[in-house]
Amino acid sequence: MSKGLTNGPLNGARILDLTHVWAGPLAVRFLADLGAEVVRVEPPMGRGPKAFPYAPLGGWLGSAAGDDPWNTNAIFVKLMRNRRGLSVDLKTAEGKAVFLQLVSVADVVIENFSANAMDRLGLGHDVLVEANPHIINVSMPGFGNSGPLAQRVAFGPTVEAMAGLTDVLGYDADDPRNTAMALMDPISATHAFAAVTQALQHKKDSGQGCRIEMSLHEGGVNYMGPWLIDRQLGNPVETWGNRHPGIVPHGVYRCQGDDQWVAIACQQQSHWQKLTAVLNEEVGTQFSADLDLDARRKIETEIDEALTTLTTGTSKHEISQRLQTAGIAAGPVNTTPDMAADEQTIERGFFVNYERHATPMPGNPIKMAGLDSDDWLPCPGLGEHNDEVLRDWLGYDQPQIDELATVLHNEPPL
Amino acid sequence: MARCLKVIEMGGYAAGYAGRLFVRDGADVVRVEPTVEKPSWASYEAMETYLHAGKRRVARVSERVLADLIQAADVVVCEVDSAQQYDGFASMCKGKRHVVISPFGLTGPKQNWQATPSTLLAMGGYTQIMGDADKAPLTLPGHYLEFQSGTLAYGAVQVSVLEDRRDLIDIGMFETLMSLSQFTTVRWHCAGQIRSRHGSDFWFVSPSELFKCADGWVYINIVPNFWDPFLALIELPELVIDERFQTNDGRMLYREALLSAIAGAFKLLTKAEIEQRAEQCRVPLGVVRTLDDVLAEPHLLERGFWEEITSSAGGKVQSPGLPYRTSDEPRAGWAVQAAEAVDV
Repeated sequence: MSKGLTNGPLNGARILDLTHVWAGPLAVRFLADLGAEVVRVEPPMGRGPKAFPYAPLGGWLGSAAGDDPWNTNAIFVKLMRNRRGLSVDLKTAEGKAVFLQLVSVADVVIENFSANAMDRLGLGHDVLVEANPHIINVSMPGFGNSGPLAQRVAFGPTVEAMAGLTDVLGYDADDPRNTAMALMDPISATHAFAAVTQALQHKKDSGQGCRIEMSLHEGGVNYMGPWLIDRQLGNPVETWGNRHPGIVPHGVYRCQGDDQWVAIACQQQSHWQKLTAVLNEEVGTQFSADLDLDARRKIETEIDEALTTLTTGTSKHEISQRLQTAGIAAGPVNTTPDMAADEQTIERGFFVNYERHATPMPGNPIKMAGLDSDDWLPCPGLGEHNDEVLRDWLGYDQPQIDELATVLHNEPPL
Repeated sequence: MARCLKVIEMGGYAAGYAGRLFVRDGADVVRVEPTVEKPSWASYEAMETYLHAGKRRVARVSERVLADLIQAADVVVCEVDSAQQYDGFASMCKGKRHVVISPFGLTGPKQNWQATPSTLLAMGGYTQIMGDADKAPLTLPGHYLEFQSGTLAYGAVQVSVLEDRRDLIDIGMFETLMSLSQFTTVRWHCAGQIRSRHGSDFWFVSPSELFKCADGWVYINIVPNFWDPFLALIELPELVIDERFQTNDGRMLYREALLSAIAGAFKLLTKAEIEQRAEQCRVPLGVVRTLDDVLAEPHLLERGFWEEITSSAGGKVQSPGLPYRTSDEPRAGWAVQAAEAVDV
């Protein structure tokens, strides 16, 4: 059994991480946070060139590119903690040979390349199994590795449209919206995490590895499940905007300040009773506390107008607190600075400053004994642990490592 | 298939989703029905068909029977409305491997705040970035929050079983959302910018928008290295030669003109024509599928994606299979069992 980089129940599980963009790296982050020993295997240009032509969407750690911009792209770094970094060119024979030796002592290989990309690299499932008959091999292509759409180019927002979500999202039925946030990616990530933990459990019991295929598209369609069943049952599936088929009131209401909002929902009759007390006293309405869901639905616009009157002149935080005090579900529509300043977030230590420049990074939502972000390690530099990984995992000595100088990298070649 | 874990599931849709994953892994799941079902985005029958097929279900369980069920279980999945509600189960679960899913987690000043998925989506940063800039932000329909929390709960329990631990696992839905942020959090902490919402436009690359076509809608997401393939798809020579559109910066700067030109081209094409071109040109494009389209999707049919579920009313429907698969064997069919009162 090997020791992970951090303490946690997955200590002893060795993972080779070939993932990129969002879904794959996020899945691996959950595994790494739980103590798995993860080696990130990257091509020399896997983090981009030496000089970035533009600032990345999430900015740079420390707000400046620094001397090694390929290692300070904040979006990338956010997903890559608690790993060791090995940069090897898998398109070379030597690189492939090293990788397959690593496979032979690993538990999991995970990638989210396009369909069958590993086959094209000469590292398909059969090759990995030959190197290690007990390997858990995780593939996360957009549309799976088979079927008529398998070769389609798949990004989160385009897959979202094809999964059916765009058809039911929007302010009204004739004017759909896309979340424009690649929602399929985090769905895929959590399910890949779940699948790997399941496979590790099976491997412990049986000694057997397996092949896991996680399709981004099928993750989205799975999310749509209840609506797809309703469609077959002949039940209406509608676009609700900010309203809800089973909750009235349910909405997002304007507050004091520019683009400031609060979400309010009464999902129990008792919440409505409490809300009527607030509205009748502060807005001067005369709503009956006895109105049931159907009765409230008939005057939903009137209720929404009263709520808007209540919220418009007050800050989102103040109205949320007041309604919570009255026992009503309400929450401010938070931006990141709001979330970072939230007393709940602070007390539970959600954002963690383990990266360069003490940059706050989102934490791990799974809290269990023995897990602590105090021992988290920052995103490794490209190829930062080339020698260490080859020594620790494969027992290489320095001459053997030196022989690989042409296929190992610790900075982009261009 | 895993050892046959005995799982007790209590609570709403997050616990139900975790239980659904356990069922597909061969566990013996007993669902303890809540006294009051929470409002859902779909009908009760659809929710129970989707979530509870393959489980045994008990209702109106006394405290004594519940304690016995918990003691006999390997795993307890418990979804509560607040930390305070968990206090009622804590002594029963002592020494058992159990995961508690709650809105804000079991500690902290908001541990007992009232919450719904929409208020949590708001607080967790999702709502702020969805919808149009000049309108109220848009809440996400469906049970994303619950299903994601349930999935993490399932994975965390598997890890606990792997190490033969008897842990309490605490999963807060608020933190689940914040952990699943795209680049919203680092954009503030590293670039000092609050991410804004722009309808369906991803905004940071252009064109990345939803367009009306002759018989529906299509979404394109043209990151810079797909610009040339996209030009081949759209067949607008003026875009090829227009200096304004040669870089992503230019396309963002002159977004309105660009999107207008694309909209004009797309509205003359059908979904089928556009999809065919996207495939030929290898462009990231998604035709907006209706629910009927999804149910009839040849790709999903060919891949054996669907499960046949016999509902509690006796009808058969096709329900999505899990998005991951560990073998090529056909997916099993499942039946929904009615809940029975075991101890009034």
